[in-house]
Amino acid sequence: MQTAWGWPIAIYLFLGGLGAGALLIAAAFEFSGKRYQYDFCPTALVGATVPGPLLILGTLLLIFDLGAGRREPWRILYMYTHFSSVMTWGVWLLTLFIPVALIYGFLEILDAFPATRQWLKSRRWLRWTAFLWNLPLRQTKRIFAGVGAVLAIGVATYTGILISAVGPAIPFWSTWVLPFIPIPMLPVLFLVSAISTGLGLTVDLAATLALGSVEQRLKSLPWIHLALIGAETLLLGMMLITALMAGGSAAKSAQEIIAGSYAIVFWFLIVLPGFIFPFVVHAYAIGLGRHSPVSGVGSGMGIVISGLFLRYLILISGIPAAL
Amino acid sequence: MPATISRRRFLGLTAAAGVVAALGLPLLRKEASSAEERPKARYALIIDTTKCTGCGACIEACRQRNKLPEGLSYIRRIVKGNERNPWFLMVQCQHCANPPCATVCPTHATYRREDGVVLIDPRLCVGCKYCMQACPYQARIFDEKRGVADKCWLCLPWVLGGGLPACVEACIPGARIFGRADDPQSEVAQLIASGRAKPLHPEFGTEPSILFYIIQEE
Ligand code: SF4
Ligand code: SF4
Repeated sequence: MQTAWGWPIAIYLFLGGLGAGALLIAAAFEFSGKRYQYDFCPTALVGATVPGPLLILGTLLLIFDLGAGRREPWRILYMYTHFSSVMTWGVWLLTLFIPVALIYGFLEILDAFPATRQWLKSRRWLRWTAFLWNLPLRQTKRIFAGVGAVLAIGVATYTGILISAVGPAIPFWSTWVLPFIPIPMLPVLFLVSAISTGLGLTVDLAATLALGSVEQRLKSLPWIHLALIGAETLLLGMMLITALMAGGSAAKSAQEIIAGSYAIVFWFLIVLPGFIFPFVVHAYAIGLGRHSPVSGVGSGMGIVISGLFLRYLILISGIPAAL
Repeated sequence: MPATISRRRFLGLTAAAGVVAALGLPLLRKEASSAEERPKARYALIIDTTKCTGCGACIEACRQRNKLPEGLSYIRRIVKGNERNPWFLMVQCQHCANPPCATVCPTHATYRREDGVVLIDPRLCVGCKYCMQACPYQARIFDEKRGVADKCWLCLPWVLGGGLPACVEACIPGARIFGRADDPQSEVAQLIASGRAKPLHPEFGTEPSILFYIIQEE
């Protein structure tokens, strides 16, 4: 197994996906008009405010994992300069995404809690913010939500491209979608997983905790979850099968995941909490016609935890090509 | 008021200078390396695994010449074959013509010279380890003290001065043959031309350009 990258990078990949996914859900609520159906929308609030801080945390972890770049931080500027490197794309994406997400979150807070406007207006040292009150708040917010959503798709996909770009060095990471489709699976898988962890955080968790129940907000939620879980199962299954068929160290990685030294992580920290449990909960909710708060919080937490361990598992199970 | 403005301008200028330095340093380095000489040499280092006894003298010589800490070397020994008939594959940077380590490096720290030698500029390296992941020969190590990636540099200063890489000097059975592939009379050129010496794992697609191997028939 590879040893160069460990937990800090795994958590960074996870936070990147979670933040991007949460912002995508908030933007979907914004543009579909769902955000405005009720007085208070915890999904849009969490989905807009959380991604900025999450990505800042992720970036700090990334910097913490650097060698010379941590001790001499100005070297980080060099990372903006080499455009053939997927890491350079990532540095640019983070640099653009974080401020856009922070502004979107700020505007969402202003929109959700009008009292914050009063507060801002009443502070003399914040008088320079007066220009804000002339802006059309919702239109401005929509611009940032839209730009943020585009960047979010970039961030979520890039986390997969970053590690699949090492190609033949660690064959498992660049496993194709199918044996005859030469597109790496990880960017697709990480994008879908990002959306599903984002949904788990902003709807299952946030809306349940804030309102006690979610179904009044998103009736189709169980169906969306079932579709996402189905898609992830399919993608992950295809990736493992393609890796097994590819042979070599890719197959060895897949074997370790399914029935080897990483099997416990895979079955009990990824498949059980992130696939089976939420599937049962949401299928049950469809049958029953409603969600219980416990199952909402449970499935949200399960999906988020499973997303974290998915990144970790993919990362540590990478086995360098045999020489 | 003027004080604030000038401080602002000062900060602005400092930031601008920082950005210029950050963008400029990689370019400057490129300038410097092409100015020092335009090398036409094409070096080749052939490892004859039929002669290699796996003694590890090259590993130790490399460690000493490059002042690497105990246990670290630019050369790795892989045991091949079976219990009864083992043989040894000594792996170091293959100096690829299409080096993925340089493609993925976010900073221009890893680059390829015109003579094919792939180098790391430790002043530019941030220590992200992306190159270590991308090298299919696992030829890179990490210098924990300086926080930068490190690897075989073909003992370039010695070679440019007419000397030999430490591993070649140290090899007792003469399993390492070093020379100039651009001289058709040289032993290395003939071994490569005859097809006896071949790149290792060409299927990786990185086009090793300096290291070649004579592989034991199994
Ligand atoms: S062997 Fe590895 S480190 Fe050396 S040039 Fe090729 S990819 Fe880069
Ligand atoms: S560790 Fe250094 S040489 Fe390697 S990719 Fe990162 S910046 Fe480039």
